[in-house]
Amino acid sequence: MNTMNLLLITRIARQELLVNIRNKWTIIFAVVFGVLIVGISYIGIVAEGFSGMQNFTRTSASMLNLVLYIVPLVSLIMGTLSFTGDRGTTELLFSQPVFRAEVLLGKVLGLFFSLSLSMIIGFVVAGGIISSVTGGEGLLQYAMFVILSLLLALVFLVVAVLISTTNNRTSRSFGISLFAWFFFVLFYDLIVLGVSLLFKGQTANIILFLSLFGNPVDMVRVASLIILDNVTIFGAAGAALLRFLGGSGLSITLLTGSLLLWIGIPLVIARRMLNKQDI
Amino acid sequence: MISVQHLTKQYGKFTAVNDVSFDVKQGEVFAFLGPNGSGKTTTLKSIVGLCLPTHGTILVNNLDVRKRSKEAKNLISYLPQRVIFPETLTAREVVRFYGSLRNISRSAADEALANAGFNGFSDKPVNEFSGGMIQRLGMTVISLPDSPILLLDEPTANLDPQGVKQFRDFILQQKEKGKTIIFSTHLLAEAEQLADRVAIFVSGKLGALESIDDLRTTFLKTGTIEDLYLHYVGSSHYEK
Repeated sequence: MNTMNLLLITRIARQELLVNIRNKWTIIFAVVFGVLIVGISYIGIVAEGFSGMQNFTRTSASMLNLVLYIVPLVSLIMGTLSFTGDRGTTELLFSQPVFRAEVLLGKVLGLFFSLSLSMIIGFVVAGGIISSVTGGEGLLQYAMFVILSLLLALVFLVVAVLISTTNNRTSRSFGISLFAWFFFVLFYDLIVLGVSLLFKGQTANIILFLSLFGNPVDMVRVASLIILDNVTIFGAAGAALLRFLGGSGLSITLLTGSLLLWIGIPLVIARRMLNKQDI
Repeated sequence: MISVQHLTKQYGKFTAVNDVSFDVKQGEVFAFLGPNGSGKTTTLKSIVGLCLPTHGTILVNNLDVRKRSKEAKNLISYLPQRVIFPETLTAREVVRFYGSLRNISRSAADEALANAGFNGFSDKPVNEFSGGMIQRLGMTVISLPDSPILLLDEPTANLDPQGVKQFRDFILQQKEKGKTIIFSTHLLAEAEQLADRVAIFVSGKLGALESIDDLRTTFLKTGTIEDLYLHYVGSSHYEK
């Protein structure tokens, strides 16, 4: 019976975390992300003519677009870099008395923690500055938004792992990862809207509704807007969406559950692929 | 100790290893000889479970490598052809990490590092190390768990003469401890000096499987091990 050893997974995760937090690209990402997150709140104020900082919900809404663009890209790049790394390192690691699935999980967790750390530093610094000016109103929503952003990072890390395990060549894995970013962040909505135009009424609505679950970026966007009480920016469609999903609470649960599936399913496929291939 | 039976490995239409069978006894030092691409690395990687055979079985201490990989790998220390460590880690972090995967204490890992002559370099990042030092660090990692089986893929390929000598001493030391060792090499003198038996790979097949003693009493009386190697591999291989 191939029972996985949690201790070994933790040790591999710790090592991966150590390697990644010393990686200059992780440090650059943490700095850039932090600066942008703090900067966005100031820019928002200037644009809207307020004096002083925006509160948490306004800031989170402004941060949303940044998160939806940058987090998938960085997660895909870091995931691909880690899983298409030097053959010498990979061979030595996989020749140890560990299951391949333990290496896979350990590396994913270590990568996720390092990415989370980079993001949380930015979010905490921005949160500290905002709360010092505007108080703690909307802090809970902000925290939930941070959790959704971390989930988005994990989804795209796992997608990168799946891409890397199904492709032997590093350059090809990078190419597909970049395509995945373009697809989910830029093209997906365009394709869905185009397809929905071919249908009318209820059918078009169902297509639009179901399409939501095919793109984790859209799921995080909608869930964040619901959390931040900003779903009204969808207008009548937003109200219909909430009705369709069964209210805010149920909507968040459904969307978060779907995001977890987006993490679990690629991970299971990647594990199977890894078990069937040569290292 | 190690039994390889009818091992075949295909990559698409290319057959890297073609119906190779051999046994390695406990305490035996076994050398793989053969030109590049002849199947030495694939065979070594199959024994440690990195390559999945297309056909055939591999038993390590009667454990099927495919079915009981973790138990089998617990008996093996493998040094890849080109060993690489994450550049930002120190030698101590590297050795402690690989030790931790085999439940070896940090103090034992530190001791192994000191014994390997890394004093003064233990807390330096790997990116400050020369190729020879990285190879030595690799040897420290594989000798740490005191595994009964050592698999070494061209271990002297990146070493300077001093490193080669250190490697030879290392092998002789491990041999004295009764370890079962398989190593691949292009240095024929190395095989003659260290191995009990040699397997010569030619185009994925086992061209010859001879004990060094037999060779000494027969072929090497009149020729050298280089002559024997060329006899099996054939100059036509290189002309291709």
